Amino acid sequence: MEKPRIGVYVCWCGTNIAKMVDVEAVAEEIKNIPNVVVSRNYKYMCSDPGQDMIINDIKESKLNRIVVSACSPRIHEITFRKTLQKAELNPYLFQMANIREHDSWVHTDRAEATKKAKALVTAAINRINYHEPLKELSVDINPATLIIGGGISGISAALEIADAGKKVYMIEKSNRLGGYTADIDLTYPYLSSVQQMLGPMIERMKKNKNIDLFLETEIKEITGYIGNFETIITPKNDNKTKLSFGNIVVSIGLRSWDPSPLENYGYGKFPDVITSVEFEKMLLSGNIAKKDGSIPKNIAIIHCVGSRNKNYHEYCSRTCCTIALKYANQLRSAFPNASIYELFADMRTMSKGCEELYTITSRKKVVFMMFDQENDLPGIRKANKNDNCEMIIELNEKRSGKFVEVPADMVILMVAMEGRETVKEVAQITGVSLDGNKLFIEKHPKLDPVATTTSGVYTVGSCQGPKSIPDSVSQARAAVARILGTIARGTAQVAGTTAHININLCSGCQMCISVCPYSAISFDDEKNVSVINEILCQGCGTCVALCRPNAIDIWGCSNRQMTAELTALLLSD
Amino acid sequence: MSDFQPKIVAFVCTWCTYAGADLAGTSRIKYEPNVKIIRFPCTGRIDYMFLIKAFANGADGVIVSGCHPNDCHYVSGNFHARRRWIVFRELVDFLGMDVNRLCFSWVSAAEGAQWAKIVNSFTEEVRQLGPYKAYMELVKKDKNESVF
Repeated sequence: MEKPRIGVYVCWCGTNIAKMVDVEAVAEEIKNIPNVVVSRNYKYMCSDPGQDMIINDIKESKLNRIVVSACSPRIHEITFRKTLQKAELNPYLFQMANIREHDSWVHTDRAEATKKAKALVTAAINRINYHEPLKELSVDINPATLIIGGGISGISAALEIADAGKKVYMIEKSNRLGGYTADIDLTYPYLSSVQQMLGPMIERMKKNKNIDLFLETEIKEITGYIGNFETIITPKNDNKTKLSFGNIVVSIGLRSWDPSPLENYGYGKFPDVITSVEFEKMLLSGNIAKKDGSIPKNIAIIHCVGSRNKNYHEYCSRTCCTIALKYANQLRSAFPNASIYELFADMRTMSKGCEELYTITSRKKVVFMMFDQENDLPGIRKANKNDNCEMIIELNEKRSGKFVEVPADMVILMVAMEGRETVKEVAQITGVSLDGNKLFIEKHPKLDPVATTTSGVYTVGSCQGPKSIPDSVSQARAAVARILGTIARGTAQVAGTTAHININLCSGCQMCISVCPYSAISFDDEKNVSVINEILCQGCGTCVALCRPNAIDIWGCSNRQMTAELTALLLSD
Repeated sequence: MSDFQPKIVAFVCTWCTYAGADLAGTSRIKYEPNVKIIRFPCTGRIDYMFLIKAFANGADGVIVSGCHPNDCHYVSGNFHARRRWIVFRELVDFLGMDVNRLCFSWVSAAEGAQWAKIVNSFTEEVRQLGPYKAYMELVKKDKNESVF
């Protein structure tokens, strides 16, 4: 192995790092570490000038190892590996030290944070001495795609893939396609019919020969890896079927929240306090009426029910404000003389055409009143006989600062959207993580919003975060673009960070075979040693840790590298 | 309260706890600077020899943390880590190390606050226990020499 010539780059990340870490002092101090040839600090290492700096140094100073001390490798490791490739250096001769998420953003003492940064960078430098050039492996892509969930997102993805001539297996838990969208009457902001839009799409799904539709079917297990996944399903009234596919789209959507825990709104207590989902069904049936069949004279729509609420869902459900405006419009058309109230916390009508709908609605004799979502929610009580209405909503109107009593015969609660009951199971089966709100975590929130940390698995639509129909469709098609891209290439590159066996040390105990979750290890009876299939190996390293004679090691996380990192981390402190 | 600043190493998996620690960062949750993370693909990869090496090189405490049971990116690596941990704990006393200086936890990618909480509480526990040099002195003559 050639002697390491290391370049170290300490990033300021504007002020994100530089404010809490003395980046210049870090870059200065590490200059004296053996094999460090270049040590620099710069405002934004990920910017083009930052990356060009690395490329120039690799060429001019003949660097063969690069350490970037910046943000989390989960964000920019891939960026800098590409930078190395541009400079014709193997991308695995690279290491990041995370001095932003794990240091400058979480500490308050500049001296301590700087000390920690030095330790982390020193550890990365010490470890990179033992990095080796790795080759990436190429796997074949099965051109079929599995889609889990037949709502608007899943349907959009399926049609797009099928129209491109590729096979789709659509798995839907319920007995029909359309998901949540199928229960909607009109879409916002242009109040056009959902059924006219969705009906033909579902027809196309049924007729398209490239789409195999499995209704009332659930996925229990998926095996394999990008390009080569497999599952066995048991469709209703049918035999077990084995499916093979190269990519997976998860589009299971969300469900509406049951607002009973918010007792101030009296859901379940007052018959005419209904959820937005129940009201939507009323609209779809064409009959808006109270439980006793009469016409409501006073109708109130309450926003943010269980959304943006620390006790239930901290996030904004995103579509409810504009849906509530749509309801006001539909109610005004149905009842020209009714009193309509919108009780909102903050009006969020951010998508195209939605602010215009807000303006239109405000001109239709709709009363808008604001409440304090954090400290002072409205409450509903039964009205007295001479009140001339069913219920009274008590409200401290935020803008006027006045206590108001709003008469109501019908109250529509704009309920939060939340993860479906099956979300944890689907997350486990597909190997995708959920965040604290039971929403799927994307690979990168900005730069890779439909991919996940599991190669070949994409998550689209509301299950990734509450979304409108156009946003769901856009995401679905974005995932399809990625999938068709891998299908067109026919192969995918997988990381070369796999396990390998030194057959001279292998004792043939076969313990590694029993723990491998991917069946990537087999036994060579003739030589009496274990053999690793590097395509199947996903690089978890479980076999490495248990190998008694230390015959197994793993590229990119070798015993030597990790020990070097560990000892430097402790000794530099 | 003692002002001793313990040296603590955390061996974590990249998918759950490392991501959880990243989330603590993006959420700007503040915590003690004593814990330094070493990133592994999976807790299943963590050879507990690394823990012994940590103490041999002067660590006052060690954290092992990964995905919650059933949430392992690699299906079952965390179960192997947990099983190995049970065996290892039994061995720790025999090796002459203090079992109170070890912490095993599950922290998911969504649990940034939980990560900060574990760092703070374990740092305080180790601070109360004081510096730990017994094992290091047992295995090496010069404290600046690294034990591989």
